[in-house]
Amino acid sequence: MKVEITVNGEKKIADVSPETTLLKMLRDEFDLTGAKLGCDVGDCGTCTVVVDGESVNSCLMLAARASGSEVLTIEGLATFQKLHPVQQKFEDLGALQCGYCGPGMIMSAKNLLDKNKSPSVDEIRDALAGNLCRCTGYTKMIEAIQEAAKEINTTNAL
Amino acid sequence: MIKRGKGMACMWYPIGFTVAANASAATVKVNTDGTATVLTGTVETGQGALTVLGQIAAQTLGIATDDVHVVSADTDSTPMDTGAIASRTTYVTGNAIVLAAEKAREILFEAAAPLLNVRPEQLEAVDKKIRVLSFPDRFLPIDKVVAHAENTLGKPSIGSASYNPPTVEMDPETGQGKPFNAYVYATQIADVEVDDETGEVEVKKITAVHDCGTPINPMLVEGQIQGGISMGVGFALQEEILFKDGTQINPNLTNYIMPTSLDMPELEVELVDNYDPTGPFGAKGAGEPTAVPTAAAIMNAIYDAVGVRITNLPATAEKVLAAIQEKNKAVA
Repeated sequence: MKVEITVNGEKKIADVSPETTLLKMLRDEFDLTGAKLGCDVGDCGTCTVVVDGESVNSCLMLAARASGSEVLTIEGLATFQKLHPVQQKFEDLGALQCGYCGPGMIMSAKNLLDKNKSPSVDEIRDALAGNLCRCTGYTKMIEAIQEAAKEINTTNAL
Repeated sequence: MIKRGKGMACMWYPIGFTVAANASAATVKVNTDGTATVLTGTVETGQGALTVLGQIAAQTLGIATDDVHVVSADTDSTPMDTGAIASRTTYVTGNAIVLAAEKAREILFEAAAPLLNVRPEQLEAVDKKIRVLSFPDRFLPIDKVVAHAENTLGKPSIGSASYNPPTVEMDPETGQGKPFNAYVYATQIADVEVDDETGEVEVKKITAVHDCGTPINPMLVEGQIQGGISMGVGFALQEEILFKDGTQINPNLTNYIMPTSLDMPELEVELVDNYDPTGPFGAKGAGEPTAVPTAAAIMNAIYDAVGVRITNLPATAEKVLAAIQEKNKAVA
């Protein structure tokens, strides 16, 4: 079946079988391999992408369901010149270790900051609750998201 | 009712294998543009090993960490390394890289000495320069010295070395010996809240103080410790592989429960100011020891809160509640 979606601002069309998940379509049809296949049942969150402003586990969403939607993946955050503030702060603070959870974690954080400009620590913990990390204990991620929020607010105020 | 408790646990942990050989080999070459290349067989698993090893090479050669290219974990081209196990990479691989970089540096000192009218042992490598000790104005840029050594003297700046921690086998009768060459130490303190009507335990805060020698990269060590604590929290309260008839019945993250961002307490990490003369620039290691005292500290905190000893992990709400009821029955 034909699925037409907007990915990172670009219109894309793929011909996929009905059981194809959004994650599989992004990775196999569009070569967007930033979102990872982890548990494949919606527990780990490393496949997180933003669909029409909501962060979703793309392993649980059928590609057909996303038809006509605007999808943002980790590839859509940085430009050649500049990382997204969340990415930059994750790097500066050493918030990732093995990095496998990173794409999903950063998308959840980015979506949080789009909706809540100055989240509290509890609100950040809540937003990351669907993204598992085995390496870091989440502490530096929470700090990085707070720093990114500050930077985004400062830039917007200028 | 919510009861609060505080518990503490201390530990020591060895770096490297118990007596058995666990060598690391490394090759360091300095290039004519003043950069360096490190070949190491060890592998980056996210702990920041290659950053730390690059820093160690940079410090030995007096160049910037960004100017060190680390090539790792390719059995076709990199020297033997026992691997990222036994909390040994910074210490054992780091020592091999210091030794290899010192050999490459020695070639530069010998090449630069006649040009600066001093003996090689009067030179140091700092700020991308080969410089006369105590005479900061008498120096040659390191790239010029490399080029001179390579192109004029025919002596490229390269060094290979290996390190195996010196140990003494333990006497089977007396138990005496020296199983390891370095040990790290830590204390962690847990603050918990226990609901004595449900048995549910919430860890509010873990304070962790670790001796890793002189940390090469404090930010990465802190990250290692925070990650180790999250594994310790899971070990203490949540994680358990369940078997039925020899088959694991929870082989996925739906029912093998590990800490999420909501389970992790506030963490306060401090590094003890220390220096181990046998380690690279005084460093020992982080790795596994970061997770060692966490569960014990949490169990002690549960005891402090509700007076029960949990000796079978994880301390699930069911187990804690059963222990509280048992205790209340005994009192009644």
